[in-house]
Amino acid sequence: MLENVKLPEGMNPETLEHLMYPKNYGKLDEPSCVGVAVDEKTGEYVIFYTLLEGETVKDAKYATNGCQDTVVIGSMFTEMIIGNDTAYAQKAIKKMHEKLGVMSEQQQVCADIVFSAFVASMINFEHKSEGKDEEMHVLKMKESCEGENINE
Amino acid sequence: MSNLYKKKHELWLHITFASFAINDEDIKSRLYEFSLIAFRHMKWIGTNLLDNGKNYNYDRGMKLSKRSTVFEVIEALADEVKNIHPLYEESVLGKRCQTDDDYLLEYLSQILKNADNNKEVTAFNMQRKWLDKNLAQEQIDALTMFLFEESYKEYELILVYAFMQARTDDSLQFSIFQDLIDESHFHLKSFGNMMAKMGILALPRELHEMTYVIKDLEKFVTDGIAEEEAAKVMCKELSDAIKDEELSKFFNFINYQESYHIELMKKLL
Repeated sequence: MLENVKLPEGMNPETLEHLMYPKNYGKLDEPSCVGVAVDEKTGEYVIFYTLLEGETVKDAKYATNGCQDTVVIGSMFTEMIIGNDTAYAQKAIKKMHEKLGVMSEQQQVCADIVFSAFVASMINFEHKSEGKDEEMHVLKMKESCEGENINE
Repeated sequence: MSNLYKKKHELWLHITFASFAINDEDIKSRLYEFSLIAFRHMKWIGTNLLDNGKNYNYDRGMKLSKRSTVFEVIEALADEVKNIHPLYEESVLGKRCQTDDDYLLEYLSQILKNADNNKEVTAFNMQRKWLDKNLAQEQIDALTMFLFEESYKEYELILVYAFMQARTDDSLQFSIFQDLIDESHFHLKSFGNMMAKMGILALPRELHEMTYVIKDLEKFVTDGIAEEEAAKVMCKELSDAIKDEELSKFFNFINYQESYHIELMKKLL
């Protein structure tokens, strides 16, 4: 879609695309595992659904009541990990930090809540594999997001 | 879960965003009136479901009808209106919805009869320009983020308050929720029209049930007051950053509206 659109300088076109049309947003009907990262101070959360086929992340979706930075990072991160193995997905967190460049402290918190939700889904998968009856795994965040913007 | 409720929720959004997308003020205004009627349908269908021991949720399966001309928007909207008709039940409410929709279809057909109405739609062109304002790029960027942030938030508030309003027996709470819903409709309309003007009109993202199934009203209201305070700060910052008197006055106006929302919310505690 973007290749035919000439954008003015300023906000990165990729960011605008993720803002207008977040990728992989919503729920999976039959995920292998579900993780939630929640900021109890603000009530913000990210819920992450992962569908695994062997070691491969066959599909992933996320939802959040958080700020637009969280939405954009969730959209980018899910695009990166779908179709790759779980080891790659773990490395993708580092790659995402590189991709996002120098982030402010608040933007870092937004990124972390997305990554933590994914990690929580992996923990949920481990627990289920061990035979535990756990609907979803919940991780509580230590830092709060005040909602600065990623627009570089 | 009710398919009719889901489809009516989607139809409300289709009508609302068609209104935002079209520049002609008469068509925009009439469609917005129809969108509020559709929202009331949604409310009544939801109440009816609850009265019959059933439930509903805010899941959606829609995509926004992004079109480049008014006629394309109107034709796509007419298709959506027709698609819901088989779902209406044989009841007074079903008949009401049907006749309202028939009248909307009649209005849409009248628009299509006049070729002069078929203007270009620029709401989705992603140009991010405010043609009659001279805004610096950083101001445009700040305004863009604000509009995405707040349009989602207003949509979220409309649905969360409506969900709680449908489930309260307390008349004071019911009344406060209605005021807050009405206020958020106005804000969503304001921000949606601004997004369209900048070519970045997009649907707010779907609500997950963790957002609207409220287990602790006091915590929800306390968090909500903090969010309103944050929105006030964003409005103030934007008002200060945008060197345009008309826009600055608008964001100050929104800022003071948020102040009264906080007072309304305190009454819920």
